[in-house]
Amino acid sequence: MHAVQDITTSQQNATSTAETIISAEDLGMIFSAGSVVALEEVGFNISKGDFISLIGPSGCGKSTLLRLVAGLLKPTGGSLSVKGDPVTGPRPDIGMMFQKPTLLPWKSVMENVLLPKTLAGQVTKQHKEKAVELLHLVGLEGFEFSFPGQLSGGMQQRVALARLLNTGAEILLLDEPFGALDEFTRERLNVELLRIQREVKATILFVTHNIQEAVFLADKVFVMTPRPGRLAQIVEVGLPRPRDIEMTKDPDFNQRVFEIRDILGGTI
Amino acid sequence: MSTTDGFGATTGASASVKFPAWAQHTLVFVIFITIWEMAVQFNWVSALILPSPFAVVAAWWDLAIVRGIIWPHFFTTLTEVLVGFAIGATFGVGIAILSAINMTFRRLVSPYMVALQVTPRIAIAPIIVAWLGFGMEPKMAIAAIICFFPMFINALTGLMQVDHENLEMFESMRASKWQIFRHLQLPGAMPVIMAGFKTGISLALIGAIVGEFVSASEGIGVLIQRFSFQLLLPQAFASLIMLTAMGLFLYGVATFADRHIVFWRHSDLVNKISRRMRAKNAGLAGIKPAE
Repeated sequence: MHAVQDITTSQQNATSTAETIISAEDLGMIFSAGSVVALEEVGFNISKGDFISLIGPSGCGKSTLLRLVAGLLKPTGGSLSVKGDPVTGPRPDIGMMFQKPTLLPWKSVMENVLLPKTLAGQVTKQHKEKAVELLHLVGLEGFEFSFPGQLSGGMQQRVALARLLNTGAEILLLDEPFGALDEFTRERLNVELLRIQREVKATILFVTHNIQEAVFLADKVFVMTPRPGRLAQIVEVGLPRPRDIEMTKDPDFNQRVFEIRDILGGTI
Repeated sequence: MSTTDGFGATTGASASVKFPAWAQHTLVFVIFITIWEMAVQFNWVSALILPSPFAVVAAWWDLAIVRGIIWPHFFTTLTEVLVGFAIGATFGVGIAILSAINMTFRRLVSPYMVALQVTPRIAIAPIIVAWLGFGMEPKMAIAAIICFFPMFINALTGLMQVDHENLEMFESMRASKWQIFRHLQLPGAMPVIMAGFKTGISLALIGAIVGEFVSASEGIGVLIQRFSFQLLLPQAFASLIMLTAMGLFLYGVATFADRHIVFWRHSDLVNKISRRMRAKNAGLAGIKPAE
């Protein structure tokens, strides 16, 4: 753990001045059905603009943690706050994306991206032009009026990402968003996700069970262990940005991957 | 020699066949009619029991064209079916919606729904006639009761099968219950509801005819019964053909509605709507015109 922090001191100094946007203390979650302890004694601070990967084996509570931050679940213990306010339910500054694209097949790509605006009330011409812009940002120029059924899985997730960005949320929660895609598509989308984050400057929590993906994307990797779900360690990645796929050949990159594998290997 | 199946589609099965599909269908139809005609001509079957196809056509021509007396009966039955179906579908979908949004309501009505399902609903027909008399109303009521159940159960199934992640997506966007219903549950249920529509409209026709058999003075069911009792079988068959035509028409309407309401399941329609949307939004900044 010390070694990890020594390597990344400069990175830490850079981020430690940023304001804390999400903070959790002694967070716990017990599901009443079968009294399953999903999370226990989880504490962390996340700075504005951080890219956090949440990694761990199935059942370690990483999706539960994401749903607590989203306000979709209420914690049974501890405290969780966003921008200093306790989380009491879904908030407009937090958006979420899932493993499934969760697109509405009866709406065009454009209408799907406009869903947050439709739910908020009137859809204006400005809203539509913003949606077109976002579709260009995620690489879907020319597909504005296609329907989800006409798109590949990777393209559907791009639509879901554009819709998420269109919520205007500054905290993006991504629950294994590319987990159902093939390896090539996943790699390409990871690179694009980093590019998009540079543009929109969001704080991102990214759940994955792929160690390489976690390291490739994140500033910090939250390593979680199951039964009960705990935050075992926070690994600072400290690799330079912007990153591309070449970085996966970097010895420092692979060292991080091995460190995380060791942490997970020692606790499962 | 290359062939098409008559619908512009090329299928592996039709590649080895020499005739287009319409010719095959015509051939089968001609063979069927010929065998039927021969069966009567050569007295394999008595013409009193099975009228010849030409006798049926002649009877139909007389009833429908020369005297035209079949049409009031036709439209009576059609009205009974359409009104009955509208009532049954409204109640079926309405109660399904209430059941889908309120768990207590669902729990309280479900025993009655099961009871209605296991009771042969045709058996209610005489009771309904006793209540509502001899006009069109009891037939509408029987049609409604018979088509109610498939509409109810399909709508409920469709409304209940909401994907959990989709629901979370709406919740994370702070959608109201009404918005979730309007934008997620109801459109998501439409494929299953429309499948119920197709079953329901055919059942409504059965209901109307059963009602007419029990007691009526007008309707195709009455004609069939009356002609059969008089052993006027060509006329009975001609009336039956009118029912087949009505059934085909109703099924066609249901299929048309299904295609256009559940358009996203039909790639040809999706492409068309997609192009229309692009044309309509061509003025929007950043939209390239269709190539």
